[in-house]
Amino acid sequence: MRYFRPFFGRQPLGGLALAWLLLVSAVGVVAPWLPLPYSAATPDLLQVSAPPSWSPIGPAHYLGTDPLGRDVLAGLVAGAQRLLLLSLPAVLLATAAGAVAGGAAGYWGNQRLRLPLAAATGALGIAWWALALPGHAIASILLIATALLAIAATWPPLAPALRNYAFALPLDALVLGATTLLGAVPRLVLLVALAAGPPLTQLQLLALLAVLAWPGTARLVRGQMLQVRVQPFIEAARASGLPMSRIWWRHALPHACRPLLAYTPLSLAGLISLESALAFIGIGQGPEVVSWGSLLATVRQDPAAWWVAAAPGLALLCTLLALQKLAKSVAKSPDF
Amino acid sequence: MMRWLLARLGRAVAAAWLIASLVFISSRLLGGGPEQLALGDSSDLSRPAAGARSAATRQAAQQVVRHRLGLDMPVFYVTREAGPPVRWQWHGAANQYHRWVMALLHGNLGYSYRDGQAVGAMLWQAVAFSLPLAGSAAVVAVGLALGLGLYLAQAPGGRLRRLLLGLLAGWQVMPLFLLALSLLLLFANPDFLNILPGSGQPPANASGPTLAGYWLARSVLPLLSLVLAVLPELTLPLVAMLRHEVRAGYATTARAKGLTAAQVLRRHALPNALLPLLTTLADLLPTLVAGTVVVEVLFGLPGSGRLLAEAAAAHDYPVVVAAVLLSAAARLLGLVLTDILYFLADPRLRPSA
Repeated sequence: MRYFRPFFGRQPLGGLALAWLLLVSAVGVVAPWLPLPYSAATPDLLQVSAPPSWSPIGPAHYLGTDPLGRDVLAGLVAGAQRLLLLSLPAVLLATAAGAVAGGAAGYWGNQRLRLPLAAATGALGIAWWALALPGHAIASILLIATALLAIAATWPPLAPALRNYAFALPLDALVLGATTLLGAVPRLVLLVALAAGPPLTQLQLLALLAVLAWPGTARLVRGQMLQVRVQPFIEAARASGLPMSRIWWRHALPHACRPLLAYTPLSLAGLISLESALAFIGIGQGPEVVSWGSLLATVRQDPAAWWVAAAPGLALLCTLLALQKLAKSVAKSPDF
Repeated sequence: MMRWLLARLGRAVAAAWLIASLVFISSRLLGGGPEQLALGDSSDLSRPAAGARSAATRQAAQQVVRHRLGLDMPVFYVTREAGPPVRWQWHGAANQYHRWVMALLHGNLGYSYRDGQAVGAMLWQAVAFSLPLAGSAAVVAVGLALGLGLYLAQAPGGRLRRLLLGLLAGWQVMPLFLLALSLLLLFANPDFLNILPGSGQPPANASGPTLAGYWLARSVLPLLSLVLAVLPELTLPLVAMLRHEVRAGYATTARAKGLTAAQVLRRHALPNALLPLLTTLADLLPTLVAGTVVVEVLFGLPGSGRLLAEAAAAHDYPVVVAAVLLSAAARLLGLVLTDILYFLADPRLRPSA
């Protein structure tokens, strides 16, 4: 709590946003144990497009049903659960991958990561074995043996002679190339095209969303790392003899990742609206999957049923606004 | 300068090519569709009594369809056959990817799995609808953003201005589909305001001008949603830049020599504030292309976005790959236009200078 006070002490709206997000996540967490009268995916065919009712007799549809007969309240809860199980892990995954890739690209650039040739030989041998290319039995054993010999030869008395046999891994070009590749087509178009096959499982969709979301984080961290890399404290760490990898992980990366505190909520908001748009168009998921987007899509069949659009639409909008407010509060807080 | 531009364009073309190839290969590896599609899903519902016989005939029919569509060929130049022992095989030019590339270089985008139409013709027909929509949305949005930005930059710092800025900032996270859906439910709803036609069929006996008028009325709401969706991201940076420029020394000089605030803003601050905004403009076209997917599905317009969505829903891979290529081309166009605008806006960047 002490951590949040500087963020929200003077911002009632920020506190409200946080409260809403906590509510949504709490509903998502306890969703399996909530005593709801209806389940989200099973339609109640006797009451199609029923308006919200609070009748005391029998289990009522408190927020009404959609034109397929599905309970809107149960759909809302299922949507919150999906947010927690799909969008949040995807963003966390994308942020971690983007931070590591962008941080490495910014720190080592194209020239500075010099690997001994032995590493390349070893990697080639392992790849040869894993892909089972022709002749892999002999070739990969030879390659790995060479690599081991070369590593053994870095034994101090021999090392100076072998130091020149190294190559630079163009990390920066690789990461930037990958972000350019994924940026060549709008994210929604790429998502629709890749989801065109048979219905995706939740895990596949999560991986797909993470793949689409990491380039933004990577670009941000890379730019930040380019500034952090030339700071005096990095130079001091190098002068004190720390190994490069340790300087990168313990000293440079935490500083380069600071803007992510404000960026990740925005990234999550973008991903939620992307996922909802996909569900709204209705591609790539089985018909039994209920989310806010798919619930919103059904209102087109019966425009008079305003309650079908109002509840999930408001929930989605509040969540996105709360995430934006959270990002703004974090960016404005004096600690940041 | 030219070389830098060409290198940039070359990279963009290569990225577009690679991403289309990735989509092509992943779609072919995923399978799951074309032959069932061509046979019709009704075969799944055949009588259980005929099950044993129909399984064999179905398999044979699928084989015929696969052969006709060229799907019985290997996907790529090299394939890996799973199972012990793993074998790698080189197929030379007789593979699906090579044939796709060769056809593409001859301007042939392939044929739809659904009805065998040429994809190029389908896409052309759809683009003829989507391009005016996205193009006019871009023009209207840029014009509105300029007007709104100039107004907000010189408006007194009162409550209205704060309200407008706050509204725009909140608007920014509003997903396009939610925006378009609310517009549809508000203005094309038989139970609420039924001002504009939202979806459905054109009047049966409509001739040239009536039909054009009908489609024009149909396009109002989609256009409005697209414009409103991209307006905040164009306006907010412009306002920030303008307010920054107005505080610069040259603006003080301009005011000191007696120009009005509006003149200073329009003639002196605006050209400098526009330059960083051109980067946003490069992203505008791809954003609108993604927006047409949502808007055309929702409003039932026969454009390229709906073509992509319907093809994706029906596993019609040739159309999907072609639509990906098309949106990559839209991005390329955006890049080229932005570079031209940069040259026009900033004399220092011109090749002759």
